[in-house]
Amino acid sequence: MELLFRLIQAMSVFLVIAYLYCKSPWFRPLTTHSLRTRDRIYLYFFFSAVSILGTYLGIAIQDAIANTRAIGPVLAGIIGGPLLGTAVGLTGGLHRYSLGGFTAFSCGLSTTVEGMIGGLVHLYLKRTNKTDLVFDPKVAFTTTFFAEMIQMAIILIVSRPYLDALALVKVIAIPMILSSSLGTALFVSIGRDQKNMYERVAAISSAKAFKIAERTLNFLGSGINQKTAVDLAKIIHEETGVGAVAITDRDKVMAFIGHGSDHHTPGSSIVSSLTKAAIAENKVIFADGERERYICPLSATCPLNSVLVVPLHIDNDVIGTIKLYEPRNKQFLNMNKMLGEGITNLLSNQLLLSRYERQKNLLVQTELKLLQAQVNPHFLFNSLNTIISITRNNAMRARELLIHLSNFFRKNLKRGNDLSTLEEELDQVNSYLQIEKARFDDRLVIQMDIDPALLKLKIPTFTLQPLIENAIKHGISNMLGQGIAKISAYRNDGHALIEIEDNAGAFREADAGDGLGIKIVDKRIKALFGKDFGTAVYSVPDELTRVTIKIPLEGHVQ
Amino acid sequence: MMRALIVDDEIHSRDELEALLLETGEFTILGKCSNALEALQAMKRERPDALFLDVQMPVINGFELLGMIDESLMPNVVFVTAYDEYALKAFEENTLDYLLKPVEKGRLAKTVRKLRRALNAGEKPVYSSQDIKKIPCVLSSRIKLISTAEVDYVRSNEAGVYVVCPTGEYFTDLTLKVLENKTNLVRCHKQYLVNIDRIDEIILHENMLAEIKTKSGRTIPVSRRHLKELRGKWNF
Repeated sequence: MELLFRLIQAMSVFLVIAYLYCKSPWFRPLTTHSLRTRDRIYLYFFFSAVSILGTYLGIAIQDAIANTRAIGPVLAGIIGGPLLGTAVGLTGGLHRYSLGGFTAFSCGLSTTVEGMIGGLVHLYLKRTNKTDLVFDPKVAFTTTFFAEMIQMAIILIVSRPYLDALALVKVIAIPMILSSSLGTALFVSIGRDQKNMYERVAAISSAKAFKIAERTLNFLGSGINQKTAVDLAKIIHEETGVGAVAITDRDKVMAFIGHGSDHHTPGSSIVSSLTKAAIAENKVIFADGERERYICPLSATCPLNSVLVVPLHIDNDVIGTIKLYEPRNKQFLNMNKMLGEGITNLLSNQLLLSRYERQKNLLVQTELKLLQAQVNPHFLFNSLNTIISITRNNAMRARELLIHLSNFFRKNLKRGNDLSTLEEELDQVNSYLQIEKARFDDRLVIQMDIDPALLKLKIPTFTLQPLIENAIKHGISNMLGQGIAKISAYRNDGHALIEIEDNAGAFREADAGDGLGIKIVDKRIKALFGKDFGTAVYSVPDELTRVTIKIPLEGHVQ
Repeated sequence: MMRALIVDDEIHSRDELEALLLETGEFTILGKCSNALEALQAMKRERPDALFLDVQMPVINGFELLGMIDESLMPNVVFVTAYDEYALKAFEENTLDYLLKPVEKGRLAKTVRKLRRALNAGEKPVYSSQDIKKIPCVLSSRIKLISTAEVDYVRSNEAGVYVVCPTGEYFTDLTLKVLENKTNLVRCHKQYLVNIDRIDEIILHENMLAEIKTKSGRTIPVSRRHLKELRGKWNF
């Protein structure tokens, strides 16, 4: 009985070691599933030391040692596999052998076998996909219990004289088996607690990061302004639980939520030298409150003591900062520091993306305006020249054409809306064609075939005009013979098709001139209705060019 | 009276300009042409003093047409255009003047004075113009453009100038002289131009005479005068 207590005493030393080990950085790799070679080497030395210590803390009995040497090899085996278990067992065993006594050989041998048993349990758990049981105290207890029984058996079989061995085993068996098994189980239980804690911390911080990201990303489409800054600061404040959160632009505070909001007022200029430095150098600045303190330049009674300043940037331009503060009585958690930096980087990327989106839209708008503007002077001068000539002989006809000309330009000016009906588009096109028909006389023939049911179809404004103009300007006006321009609109397979065809066949893939107009029309349709719609060009050189526009039937506008 | 020819593909533009020119009382209108080929024929026939030339025309534009006019027939050229960008280029091309459509009377009067002065001075106008990349040929009612690279040779006789290429022989209104000056075709005989790149072999005869066999198997004569020149260019 006394032996049992003394062994438990020795075992307690291991528990202290286990506790310290689990708190050390070397324990960290064990919480992930794959062990690298370097980690295995650390484990080998650690558990070998544990095993040898088990021998030294043992109690000399009848020329032998009652001990807890088994804890090291068994654990090494369960955690690191058969190779590691055997290696540790062999090391502990050789050490024991070197100390001599009539059980020297049998103990050395059995220690090695115990390491192997631990390793086999590891293999079994791995094969049956139960690796989470590696840190299960019951498994550890049972394995050690069994391993120690084997050890007793080996002592009985190998050690001579047999009677001495039997007498020894009678004394040491129960205390050793119980204390070693208990020790291994407690050791594993300490490790498991630590491991769970790591996992919980990781889970909590990931969950927080995702939650902030989810709550902040949606309303940033319009960039950061006074209102979004306040919302953003509130979200970060709530989710991280820091003392205070501030958002600044390059010059002034845009939002401040939390402790100290009585004297840190939105709209006031930036006074903190840390913030100024973060903006000037585009780098993260952290005053942890111990080595470096945040000293509020506004108020002597300000409770804030530590601060993290992260620059918010688009490309390489700093547009402001996000600041997280903690008051004097609270430590600035490393987790919050990482969250603050991560969220700010995420927002920076998001701002860059939304700026890119805005610029892309702006570009399409500009291209469209350019297209509208570019056509008109030439068209206007040629039209006026035609009408001036016609005035000489046919004033009525000239008047009609002037009405068409004003209609065409009025429609061009009114084009603020995104969508027009096909009817409105055709009206403008008709005015245009009437004038071109007068200009080219019998060199231009116009054919129209429009399904009346489609007249109310919504299409992007200024869809038809550039395409008709292409057909005339780049196609028919360059023909010596008669040019035929066909416009047709019909329904097919649940969507509407509008075709613009000329018999010039002047379209060339590489030619940017008419390609640009088609591309812009295509882009706008796709932006409005999705990628299944848009324009397609079919061309036979010198014979025909046909641009087909595919539009969803009404009610399908996205 | 100045003898003027109007070239414009748009009927109303032609009529308007004709009316304006007649109003000045200074012009006889020799004709109105709607494309470059009609213009080349009319010029040969009528030998105008002044050519009012639209820039933007189908197939062969005004600038290209300018390069196709034989030097001996070159009239004073006034470009007429609705496009400002062409107006600037017209200056580079060193024409007499340019008019913007719709044409304003006061501006036209200035052009008329310029024309009058130039004609009184009696100098033959010379304009810099671009090389010919494609030769316009008449094919019943169509114009066929033949790229100079496709041409085997060009020959002339009393009836006119013919462009010969692997697909056949086509009549053109351009003169041998214009083609010699404005294309990479080389003179090998008084009545022949040849495309150096299409020569298969040069067969030398006695008396310094020779013949050229083209890649499409046709034979054309080489005159004594041009043989030496040709040898230098063909490197033999």
